[in-house]
Amino acid sequence: MRPTFSRLLTAAAQADERVLLLTGDHGYALFDEFRSKCADRYINCGVAEQNMVGVAAGLAKAGFRPIVYGLGAFVPLRVLEQVKMDICYEKLPVVLIGDGAGVVYSTLGASHQCAEDVAALRAVPHIRIHSPADRFELAYCFTEMLDGERPSYLRFGKADCGDIHTGVPDVAPGDMIPVRHGDAHVGIVATGSMVSSAVKVADEFGNIPVWSAPSIVPFNHDQLAEACRKLRQVITLEEHSIAGGLGSLVSETIAEAGVGCRVRRMGIDGKFSELCGSWNYLLAYHGLAVEDIRRTVVAALAA
Amino acid sequence: MPTAGQPIARRSFEPKALRRSVIRMAYAGSTVHIGCAFSIIEILAVLYRKHLQGDCRKPAHCTDRDYLVLSKGHGIMAQYACLHELGVLGDQDLDAYFGDGTRLKGLSEAHVPGCDVTAGTLGHGLSVGVGLALAAKRRRTAQRVFAIVGDGEMNEGPIWEAMLFASHFKLDNLFVIVDENRFQAMGSTDEVMALGSLSAKFESFGFDVREVDGHDESALDAALEALETHRDGRAKAVIARTVKGRGVSFMEDDNKWHYTRLTEATYLAAMQELGDG
Repeated sequence: MRPTFSRLLTAAAQADERVLLLTGDHGYALFDEFRSKCADRYINCGVAEQNMVGVAAGLAKAGFRPIVYGLGAFVPLRVLEQVKMDICYEKLPVVLIGDGAGVVYSTLGASHQCAEDVAALRAVPHIRIHSPADRFELAYCFTEMLDGERPSYLRFGKADCGDIHTGVPDVAPGDMIPVRHGDAHVGIVATGSMVSSAVKVADEFGNIPVWSAPSIVPFNHDQLAEACRKLRQVITLEEHSIAGGLGSLVSETIAEAGVGCRVRRMGIDGKFSELCGSWNYLLAYHGLAVEDIRRTVVAALAA
Repeated sequence: MPTAGQPIARRSFEPKALRRSVIRMAYAGSTVHIGCAFSIIEILAVLYRKHLQGDCRKPAHCTDRDYLVLSKGHGIMAQYACLHELGVLGDQDLDAYFGDGTRLKGLSEAHVPGCDVTAGTLGHGLSVGVGLALAAKRRRTAQRVFAIVGDGEMNEGPIWEAMLFASHFKLDNLFVIVDENRFQAMGSTDEVMALGSLSAKFESFGFDVREVDGHDESALDAALEALETHRDGRAKAVIARTVKGRGVSFMEDDNKWHYTRLTEATYLAAMQELGDG
């Protein structure tokens, strides 16, 4: 996913002279191509994320299309108020990228991990929230963000989980993408890094339907309600807090639609990573390992 | 209401008249922050009268006008008074202040024609102004950004981030004007969070600094004029020494006019001092 991201950024700047890349002194190798091909569009704003978002707002007001890059723990979390007031209140076309979302920075601890970004931004009007699962969804989300004259956020999580799709999805904004079909009465809705885990488990059973949700806002509520009418239980999977993220979105949607399908939310449930280790270790720590998903599916099928 | 495209006639921006508009609004809306507005009256008068180039009602992406960033959004009634004098706001906007369904709020908002930033949250506006100044530099336009920052607002961390950025990126089209009235919401700046010498601080950040009496219009004008001729890569700052509540004797240097509403008696007394005939 990361080489794709680098290529998409560079192509965006080459295609549109209004595009600028702002970073809070992060990015390392990710921006090598961009800096060599579009050096004058690269603005390192220093370790000062609040000012960076304000500067992006000023640039956007004046007609530029800033892409603001930071770690998810900082952009959008640390700068939530600037995102709300400087960007969203005025509906400015600023693209925010939150890298390392979830527990990607597994060895650095809670300061660099981010399980709250989607929940925080879902409460802020006017901003679109994207959470791609692979490089093809990333390309789809990137096009959506740059084509829209509005605020948007890309949740850029674990990037090496492999391909889900074979090409860039051609779906309407807000649609979930079916990635596995099946007639079981249990289905999985997953987003970001967790789509790959969902597919692994579904393939063991052969009849578990799986949807990927690359777009949290907007979201096709009717599509979800329709899908859940055929299920007795839907499992949601996200490398994010179960409060306010995809699990909440799915719960709210089917409750409001009056669909009698039980929801089992799998995600980060009210705890920080107090221990460190590999990404896979932390997934298990938070109950998000493949074995945890398998166990949950088995229990749901037996229910 | 006039729309962008029709020329705006230059007005006198007579400080007493502007203060009368503020009192008129504050009484109509039964609102606070009068002292915050009064300390920046002369600063705004000088900017609107002479320094702000182009039509302030045009959208921010236009390249033929300067920007006025009221980062200390609490002084917004002073800007409304100027926009009223320009004809951007009408009498009804002042007299219906804070009425149900009206659009003028108690803090600066970019949805109001003539206002370039939404800056009720202190410490935000200067960064947005820095972005506008950077945009002008990148587009090689002659646009300048005049950003009014409160001394109390300088407690906010992003102000200092913005200063570092402005200096590093050589934004000599940025003019930060600090309203140094030496008060903030709950007391004097010395009591709440001592700022020391603002001139020394701005200078140490690499700014070209002038310190003036913020109610002396000719001194303000001269300081801005001098800074405007120095396009030497340094961001500019004017430290304007002001008096909170300036213009009405019983409001001057009395911080309760940060949060006190007018009664009929104080309204009439203020208007009398301001020469309402």
